[in-house]
Amino acid sequence: MARDATRRRVLTAAAAALPLIAAGCKGIAALGTPPKPAPDVTVATDAIAVETQLIARYGDVLAANPGLATALRPLLAQHHEHLARLHARLIVPVGGQPLPTPRATPRPTGQVPGTQAAALGYLRDAEDAASDALLTHLATAPPSLAQLLASISASEATHALILGTAARHS
Amino acid sequence: MTATDSAAAAALQQALAAENSAVYGYGVAGAHLTGARRAAAVRNWVGHQNARDALTAMLAARGAQPVAAAAVYELPFSVHSAAAAVALVTLLEDRLSAAYLGLVGLDDPALRAFGARAVRAAALRAATWRRGTLAFPGLDVPAPRAPGPASQGSGSPAPSGHAHGKPTPSHPG
Repeated sequence: MARDATRRRVLTAAAAALPLIAAGCKGIAALGTPPKPAPDVTVATDAIAVETQLIARYGDVLAANPGLATALRPLLAQHHEHLARLHARLIVPVGGQPLPTPRATPRPTGQVPGTQAAALGYLRDAEDAASDALLTHLATAPPSLAQLLASISASEATHALILGTAARHS
Repeated sequence: MTATDSAAAAALQQALAAENSAVYGYGVAGAHLTGARRAAAVRNWVGHQNARDALTAMLAARGAQPVAAAAVYELPFSVHSAAAAVALVTLLEDRLSAAYLGLVGLDDPALRAFGARAVRAAALRAATWRRGTLAFPGLDVPAPRAPGPASQGSGSPAPSGHAHGKPTPSHPG
């Protein structure tokens, strides 16, 4: 009985291996639909979506309040650094499938408050939300990506702190 | 002890060592600060003592012997002014961010979350001291530098990694 079970297992394994061997002769196309992106790709693209949206919000605020440029430029520059480092985590294979586009988040329009203090508060809230959002995949990300996310999340929290202080003094 | 356990213990020891230096460094810095900055230094000093005790307990619970604090720490630059005191505590917080980021690199999700909260807290304290922000707290830690005469510590961190006031330990002997 035990021997039967072993035999069956061996046969099943051999049968499972067959299509793979056959596919090996026909090239990668025979493997069918391309595999889903690896979990770390999903994590990185989600983080890229968070950063991209933040940068867009800075753009909206700066368009409405050009006087804030001096205060906001250093923070915005750091967001571009975040984005670049996250993009560097994604290696695009030559001729491979395009990377999954970041999940589309509805872009808030017409929400930028008019006064400088309110605009700074608006960005502070966005930074706080981003800081939390970046930790969503903390438990499942590969170690070095988890560290990058935690570092960027901490950076966003400090941005929120600086923006909150600026809002109170403007 | 498994490899995972020993990696966790090593990362916790790094964090504890950083907290021990912070407790010492805040003690030195506090003496050169006054008013609100002194109050903040005292608050953080107490906070770092609590964090040190928490890490000691976490290590003991894992059956590890917590690293002992040194009686004296070599300072990266001499601290005889409020500006140097602020530079010192900023550096200590930056190093804490880096130490706690080590916990985020572990497999244990609870230690990752604990580490991430601690990185954020240290980065916030550092930002308060330097009145500016870093793009990658804990990952890209600025080299320690004593405050120069023109250095104001305002705005976001000047990416001036140049040899200005490099805090290499003084030449022995």
